Amino acid sequence: MNGMGLYEERNTWVHRSDPVTKLFYGITVSAIPYILPYMGVAAFFLCLNILLLVLAKVFKKILPILFLSFFLMLSIVIVHGIFHPDNRTPLFSAGGIHFYREGLSLAALLIIRLLNMICGFGVVVLTTKPDLLVNGLVQTGLSPRIGYVIHSVFRIIPQMAATVNKIKDAQRARGVETEGNLLTRAKALFPLLVPVIMSSLIATKERTMALELRGFGSKGKRTFLKEYEEGRYSRQARWFFLLLLFGSAVWRVLI
Amino acid sequence: MKKIVVEGLKYRYPGAERLALDDVSFEVNAGELIGIIGKNGSGKSTLCYALTGLVPHFFRGAYGGRVLLDGLEVKTSTVAEISRKAGLVFDNPFTQISAAKETVFEEIAFGLENAGVPREEMAERIEWSMKLLGIEGIREKNPFELSGGQMQRVAIAGMLVMKPDILILDEPTSQLDPQGTEEVFQVIRNLAKEGMTILVAEHKVEKLAEYADKLLLLHDGKCAAFDAPKRVFSMENAESYGVELPLAAQIAKELDLRDEAGLYPAAPDELLALLKGRLQGAAGTDERFTE
Repeated sequence: MNGMGLYEERNTWVHRSDPVTKLFYGITVSAIPYILPYMGVAAFFLCLNILLLVLAKVFKKILPILFLSFFLMLSIVIVHGIFHPDNRTPLFSAGGIHFYREGLSLAALLIIRLLNMICGFGVVVLTTKPDLLVNGLVQTGLSPRIGYVIHSVFRIIPQMAATVNKIKDAQRARGVETEGNLLTRAKALFPLLVPVIMSSLIATKERTMALELRGFGSKGKRTFLKEYEEGRYSRQARWFFLLLLFGSAVWRVLI
Repeated sequence: MKKIVVEGLKYRYPGAERLALDDVSFEVNAGELIGIIGKNGSGKSTLCYALTGLVPHFFRGAYGGRVLLDGLEVKTSTVAEISRKAGLVFDNPFTQISAAKETVFEEIAFGLENAGVPREEMAERIEWSMKLLGIEGIREKNPFELSGGQMQRVAIAGMLVMKPDILILDEPTSQLDPQGTEEVFQVIRNLAKEGMTILVAEHKVEKLAEYADKLLLLHDGKCAAFDAPKRVFSMENAESYGVELPLAAQIAKELDLRDEAGLYPAAPDELLALLKGRLQGAAGTDERFTE
């Protein structure tokens, strides 16, 4: 089990870029296609993100994540292609079901936005060590508590997954059928869920105590083992992204 | 100098009917190493929490009496304030890993960062604590990928590095092998010699017999005894309190061997000395018989 979450170690300029600035980038490129409802805008940012993923040598790593959203995309196509209220122009039929141009073009926009968002955050998550990101954010002024929550998502979820496997093995050793058809597996879920949830709650309580005992609730000034140094041109880049966001919001209001 | 003063401490967990701590009073001097013993559920962990402010600040519940740490009253201070004075290590090392750090070195730094210790001093103190616990070799490892014993050492180092005046350990060697246990006890004894006040809740009576200055015996939340280990092990009703005797004391009790003070020996060499004495005595009588 690697504890780094989705981070992929590579030596590229994307990896070396300032983590906080990368986060600004991720938010900006994911948000703009939602603010500006044009296919072209969404397609442009999607291409940009794919280019960055390729340059960062992590494109292959995004594919399984994209695949996970495949069913969501399929349902978008079906729902909008067949049932959207604006559907007027039939495009093609499959097995007696008509798909319409209006619904499908909306579905295409939604899908490109979704892909763009996944790839945009992929650029951030796959190329940034979580601790560097959180360290940077906290030293830039984020509350340490929120920083902790962000980091624990990367850290604790893999641990919970490991706990699930451990409990699954334990239940199997005691004769619970965990493999087989859907019904068997559904039945096996209950003896799994209760201990998983309980043990997570207990672990959370103990961890909270341990954090308190190490002065996490301290209100005094903190210091940092790793000093965060802002990357070159980071300031400018962040302002640029903010400006892009703001500009597109203004554009949206004006049109 | 009194480092810890506990006066009439009573505590009940929220929703519980029974008092977890019932009128506990004791005093500990600076540099003493105290063992806390008692059956499961006798209040050992609760006492550890009460000495670090988790009781009552984290658990709430009904609280009476008072706990003073170097004059600092626990009831009216925050856990973060108390954490500068008293540190606590739990038995489960897994939940003590902060989950905010990628390497052992950074993990140990966590408490120092919160306390605002300057960076230059940090590195020095982390090196010191890693050396004490013999974990310099795993400094770059991910804390979650360690074995239970290594994790436990990291957890202790993470607390020691804050150099608390008072260190409380709740079964700190639960995941350690005999060798590791011995090492940890040697470390804490040396720290006590340097003036750190240490309380250890522990089931391993052999180690306590060897290292502790005094034992605090808890029974149903009450303080049943607070005395030198030998005295506690020699109590008439020790077994009714669930006190497990160290092997030396068990053998001595079986043979009714007592030292000049009328106490059972707690350490093997003491037992040996007493046994030799008796054998020589017996040999002496034998000689007289043969004459």
